[in-house]
Amino acid sequence: MLNKISDTRNSFTSDVVNVRSARELEDLRIKYLSRNGIVANLFEEFKSVTPEEKRVLGKELNILREELQSKYDELKESIELSSKAAAPKIDLSLPGRMPASGTAHLIPQTMTEIMSIFKKIGFSVVTGPEIESDWNNFGALNFPADHPARDMQDTFFVNNDFVLRTHTTPVQVRIMEKQAPPIRAIMPGRVYRNEAINSRSYCMFHQVDGIYVDKNVTFAELKGTLVHFAKEYYGSSVKYKFRPSFFPFTEPSAEMDITCFICGGSGCRVCKHSGWLEILGCGMVDPNVFKSVGYDPEEVTGYAFGMGIERIAMLKHDINDIRLLFENDVRFLKQF
Amino acid sequence: MKIVLSWLNEYIDLNDISDEKIAQELTMAGLEVEGITDYRQVYNNFITAEVVEKEKHPNADKLSLCKVSTGNEVLQIVCGAPNVAAGQKVALACEGARIPDSDFVIKSTKLRGQLSQGMICSEAELGISNDHSGILVLPENTIPGLPLAEAIGYNDVVFEIGITPNRPDALSHIGVARDLSALLNRPLRKKEPVISRDSEKIGDKVAIEIEDLENCPRYSAVVVKDVKIGESPDWMKSRLKMAGMRPINNIVDITNYIMLELGQPLHAFDLDNLSGSKIVVKRSKNGSKFTTLDSVERELRDSVLMICDGEKEVAIAGIMGGENSEVHENTRNILIESAYFNPTSVRRSARYLGLSTEASYRFERGTNYEGTMTAALRAAELMVQFAGGIVLMGELDVVSDKLITKTVDLRYARVEKILGYHVPDDFVLSILQNLEFRVVGGDSEKLTVEIPGFRPDVEREIDLIEEIARINGYDNIPPVERVTSPLESSIDYMETLNSLRAKMIGFGFNEIMNNSLQPFETAKATGEPVVLMNPLNAEMSVLRTSLIQGGLDTVRHNINNGEKDLMLFETGHVINKVGESLTSFENISEQSAISIILTGRASQKTWSSEERFFDIHDLKGYLNSLLETYLNTNKLSYVYNTEEQGIYEYSADIFAGEEKLGTYGKVTDAFAAKYDIKQVVFCAELFVNCIQRNSDKLRKYVPLLKYPKIVRDMALIFDSNIKYGDIAAFIRKNSSSLLKSVDLFDKYENDKVLGEGKVSLAFTLEFFDKERTLTEEEVEKEFSGLINKITKQFNAVLRGN
Repeated sequence: MLNKISDTRNSFTSDVVNVRSARELEDLRIKYLSRNGIVANLFEEFKSVTPEEKRVLGKELNILREELQSKYDELKESIELSSKAAAPKIDLSLPGRMPASGTAHLIPQTMTEIMSIFKKIGFSVVTGPEIESDWNNFGALNFPADHPARDMQDTFFVNNDFVLRTHTTPVQVRIMEKQAPPIRAIMPGRVYRNEAINSRSYCMFHQVDGIYVDKNVTFAELKGTLVHFAKEYYGSSVKYKFRPSFFPFTEPSAEMDITCFICGGSGCRVCKHSGWLEILGCGMVDPNVFKSVGYDPEEVTGYAFGMGIERIAMLKHDINDIRLLFENDVRFLKQF
Repeated sequence: MKIVLSWLNEYIDLNDISDEKIAQELTMAGLEVEGITDYRQVYNNFITAEVVEKEKHPNADKLSLCKVSTGNEVLQIVCGAPNVAAGQKVALACEGARIPDSDFVIKSTKLRGQLSQGMICSEAELGISNDHSGILVLPENTIPGLPLAEAIGYNDVVFEIGITPNRPDALSHIGVARDLSALLNRPLRKKEPVISRDSEKIGDKVAIEIEDLENCPRYSAVVVKDVKIGESPDWMKSRLKMAGMRPINNIVDITNYIMLELGQPLHAFDLDNLSGSKIVVKRSKNGSKFTTLDSVERELRDSVLMICDGEKEVAIAGIMGGENSEVHENTRNILIESAYFNPTSVRRSARYLGLSTEASYRFERGTNYEGTMTAALRAAELMVQFAGGIVLMGELDVVSDKLITKTVDLRYARVEKILGYHVPDDFVLSILQNLEFRVVGGDSEKLTVEIPGFRPDVEREIDLIEEIARINGYDNIPPVERVTSPLESSIDYMETLNSLRAKMIGFGFNEIMNNSLQPFETAKATGEPVVLMNPLNAEMSVLRTSLIQGGLDTVRHNINNGEKDLMLFETGHVINKVGESLTSFENISEQSAISIILTGRASQKTWSSEERFFDIHDLKGYLNSLLETYLNTNKLSYVYNTEEQGIYEYSADIFAGEEKLGTYGKVTDAFAAKYDIKQVVFCAELFVNCIQRNSDKLRKYVPLLKYPKIVRDMALIFDSNIKYGDIAAFIRKNSSSLLKSVDLFDKYENDKVLGEGKVSLAFTLEFFDKERTLTEEEVEKEFSGLINKITKQFNAVLRGN
């Protein structure tokens, strides 16, 4: 039993060296000084020894207990002290050093969102110039000279042969003139209309056009593709309708409306209480367009669509004045 | 186009169909209904009334205090109109009336201390014209207390339809009815004019000569004699007004009525004012003058088609009649002109004259060349009924033999090929027949269809397919669930641009977008601007030659709003003219560019940072970091311009090999002042395609260094006119391959310590070899050799010696 006492002392001494935290200290107390600890067990054992032995052992045991307890207390004090000392001197509540945070302009941001949907289903991204020939902008797209259809797009003229493109549709002429079908591309870019600047119109804006030409492209496929786009962009619960319309470069032509995403179709200021928002124009590529680029309309069919980016961005972000987009007030820019 | 429901009802039975359903059917067939107005609802609580007393308002100079009788009671009304007078019959908005197109609801109120129990309305307030100069005064025989809708003839439902340029047929009530007939599969009720004739023959009175059959392929005329000019019947005036036309007299009203009904513009000549008993259709002469019936004298040119009599010009064909042959109150005999003019000819003349009329609008879109005579006879029929005239025996009708009815084949299989679903053959047939396409032949594969004159837009098979799709409903086309995609390599021309944008946004810049139309003067500062023929104004007369000017506009706008510290960038096209004239794309340089703008503070004074303003080196750093993504910056070279150049006070051109990637610099104070900018602005502009062309194609792995580097520092004192770039280049040139990098870690100027005109530059040099560990000795030898060479070359002194 005496050996056990001295073993306990030794093991305690070597354990103490490793105690650095309050938690390790507690482990130490549980091991030696708790109700089921080593010391308590020794006292339990002590009950069953002879009275003679009791005299010697009792003294030794009491010394052991006092020694361990005072060591423990000492250690406890020092750990408490040192843990106080280690408490952070750093003030974590100070403001952080902020790097400048950049922002993308709403127009390219919206364009990118739209394009990414079409890129995922195999559309290339093709761009073209802002000054276009009258032929590419109108003639090849089945706008005859002196036709009232030309009144649909008020045009800035550079001279009799060159205009500021009024839509990104001429890019499809450029692609088809260069390349044989199949063609599958979206065409983002800036376009111009000779319109006075006010809260609802601007002399320039942006469009994303799309075209798909192949052997068996149908109106049903056009609908399927644009419905997919609308669901991806506006949410899978969106309802839609296609209305007949007129564009010289498509036949049949349509406009696509979706349920107003502001009011969900019940009618509000934004949708002029109709519950519907017009989001794009589309149709089957007119055979005259194929003829003007040297495709055989009996061989290939195709669809085309186009949408105005400003309108989509303004509807989505509840912006009521188009001029805000080109004023570049950083207080505006930093909101998006 | 305004379509009046009761009028439409004469052509198709719509009695059991709601207004909303009619609107929906039309919209979904391509005749977009933009508004439905039920005037009986609009004029709820509006009545006729009589002003029985009018005195001045005691508290207001411009207001009158009126006693107004509604038949049952007398109300007190405060009225501000200058023309209000006792005895007038007026339109009164009573309590509860809502003013059309507004949220304003009338209620009893005190105006300047006097009770006003309603409002006496102007035409503008009633929403029937823009006239707000005074109140609307009703005819004297108006009975007070009647519902206003009945009294003024605004008592019907009106559909406002947006007609696309391809559908001139729908610029008429019969055209809209025809679409409805096909959509609802109900019969179209056509009217055949029934007229009794005089014994006098038209041929004895007048003859038609057409000198320009190409531009006037058909001219039909009917003569009605002994008419009595007067007012039209109320129902006709009412319909004209609701359709947006002002009643004039019975004869003019009838021509307008037929135009709105059948789409055929008519002209009524006073036959007694036509000399030489004939109508001649020919071109005008350059410079000749003609006064139209709006009393405006217009200068003509030889391409303008004119209607003439034996001596003089009497009308501009298809656009407007002349004052000299206008119907007036004593007119007795009428020649009704119902012609088909070449759309292009009318459009050119209308544009040249700057004159667009209801007639020219229809002619330039294409009218029904088959229907001219029917329209003339229908007008004659009404003139008999409502102007007491007698129609002469016979008609005059000159028709060009080039006016041939088109025939188009429609293959059933093609319908499915285009639309992607099957439409039953009999359905195809019935749609076309309901739209009055004349099926003249066919077999199991196809139909042969004759195109009626009122559908100039239908010329080809595809146009007929659109008709099938439109009437059957686009909603019935099933969207496919999966699409096929050709296995073509997909390209993205915007990839570089978008990655540049992403990098700039990552750096903390705000992306901006400016108008590309600019004033000539500022655009000229950075290039040769392309000038517009028809700009909106001088401020937007050319295309931008650089993105910088727009950026400076943005800087001004933001400084004015108190935002002075700006990091901005923009991407867009910059356009320059190449050569004198612009005849081909060769004469246009259009490039995709990116601009960067820094102005104000790079960092603000905070608890942990000092205030610092941007300088040119910030800009250079951003540019280097940006370009590093695409190419090895060692490939870049700079040409420094310390002299003013263009818009820059000092600047540098960046080259990749021989190709100029762009320029950056500090904007001159003078140029900044054009934008009211007083703070320093640094700008850069790079060409995206140049960056793309010079991008590293493929970066190959360079093995990581296995042996230690040896680093040596040195500080030397130079004359301050010596440039860092020259020293760094000299060091590189004069060292062995062991030297791997040169960096400047300190730059120090102090006249007292270093002497006047001196600068201390401290360099860090790194040496290593890929194959082995260098010895201190060999580096020391190389290093001290370099110092010797530098001190000799630049007359420099090693510091600390």
